[in-house]
Amino acid sequence: MGAQDLNLLSLMSLFIFLIPVFYINRRLRLTINKTMLTSIARMCIQLSFVGVYLEFLFKFNSPVLNTVYLLIMISIACQSIIRSSNLKVRLFFMPVFFSLLIPFTIILIFFNAVVVRIDNLFEAKYLIPIGGMLLGNCLRSIIIGLNNFYSGIKKDEKVYLYSISIFNSRIQALKPYFKESFLAAITPTIASMATIGLVSLPGMMTGQILGGSIPMVAIKYQIAIMFSIFYTEYFSTMLSVLFSLKVGFNELDVLNQNIFISKG
Amino acid sequence: MIKFESVYLIRNNKEIFSNLNFSVQKNEKVLIQGKSGIGKTTLFKLLLGFEIIDKGRVSFNDLDIGKEHIKNIRSQIFYLSQDIDLKDGRVSDILDEILEHNVLKNQDKGHFTDLLNFLDLSDKLLDQTIKELSGGERQRIGLLICFLLDRPVWLLDEPTSALDDIMKKKIVDYILDQEKTIILISHDNVWKKNNAVKIERWL
Repeated sequence: MGAQDLNLLSLMSLFIFLIPVFYINRRLRLTINKTMLTSIARMCIQLSFVGVYLEFLFKFNSPVLNTVYLLIMISIACQSIIRSSNLKVRLFFMPVFFSLLIPFTIILIFFNAVVVRIDNLFEAKYLIPIGGMLLGNCLRSIIIGLNNFYSGIKKDEKVYLYSISIFNSRIQALKPYFKESFLAAITPTIASMATIGLVSLPGMMTGQILGGSIPMVAIKYQIAIMFSIFYTEYFSTMLSVLFSLKVGFNELDVLNQNIFISKG
Repeated sequence: MIKFESVYLIRNNKEIFSNLNFSVQKNEKVLIQGKSGIGKTTLFKLLLGFEIIDKGRVSFNDLDIGKEHIKNIRSQIFYLSQDIDLKDGRVSDILDEILEHNVLKNQDKGHFTDLLNFLDLSDKLLDQTIKELSGGERQRIGLLICFLLDRPVWLLDEPTSALDDIMKKKIVDYILDQEKTIILISHDNVWKKNNAVKIERWL
């Protein structure tokens, strides 16, 4: 049993609503038509590709192939995170990569082994969609975390240096910036856990119900995935700040100015 | 105690120091004067390791300013920046945090109260936040921290600019009476009236 297949033409029919959107954008001089189109095109192309190689991955279901695929996903996520945080990919790739990889691997294996109890931990059907959900959600929180942390210190550099001179302790001087950026990063997820089910029905649950699962099963999965998302976000955001301190600051605890992407 | 030997520093294509030679002996009090932008504050930043020289040597008790000794060096220097760049928060919380992370020689509660009285700081002020303070109050809080921490070297950047004349006089006398190594940046003439100060004019 599964969801009813969508006819390609019926799917395309959704483009119809772009006409009023375009019209309104033009009238209101919202110059987002081009960006919007690019994003829509990217979504369609990227998802079609995913469809193709997911079928491929599911067919072979090889642990090595699945793992490689996940590592590639992490690398792409990594680049996207660093760029969106206005930081240099070259410098931050390694620290962010490991801060994603470590919690991600632990939670994912735990999810498959202890929560779902599947025999093959590398079963593509579980590994890849769940991994994708975890990564997608971490993206946002790490960006907020890293961006707030480094731009906060940059903006407040005099105060930061003054704290260094008074406390003579890097940890003590960094604490307020860490606290602020970390809270900003994880608060949205905590808030969304509080309203889930009341306001929004999560995509994964909807998908499962359409796919033929009974609501109770879908809900149990949803709870499990919310826990997993929260834990992965929590630890990867924290680690991304910690692991990147070595590139972010010089030996004398002063913020390196060359870590930011220069705008201009 | 503090030595700058043939120091060169270029920032944003501007030469700040070229072949600077300057030294301060233990317990000496030096007043640096010169127009703004000449690198007076930068001198302090070099000592604290906030800026790194391009060429030459900066040393503190014969220790190079670098990774190995920076903790030791910073623990001996108190720096009062021009704007007293304390992070925002309740004054008493900030004082508590500072005292928690520094070992004081004189932990006497009476000493603290004496300093508050001397600086004309009321208890009420301790409940305010740093942002709410006036320039003069901030400056006195900065000096309070300086006197409490009692570190051997003081780098004071315009420490009296926002104080009234009576307070200025009181503080100048108090500071110059200390057995400390002190480098001052100030446009205030009160410092000069005292023979204890060596004046260094930068042109």
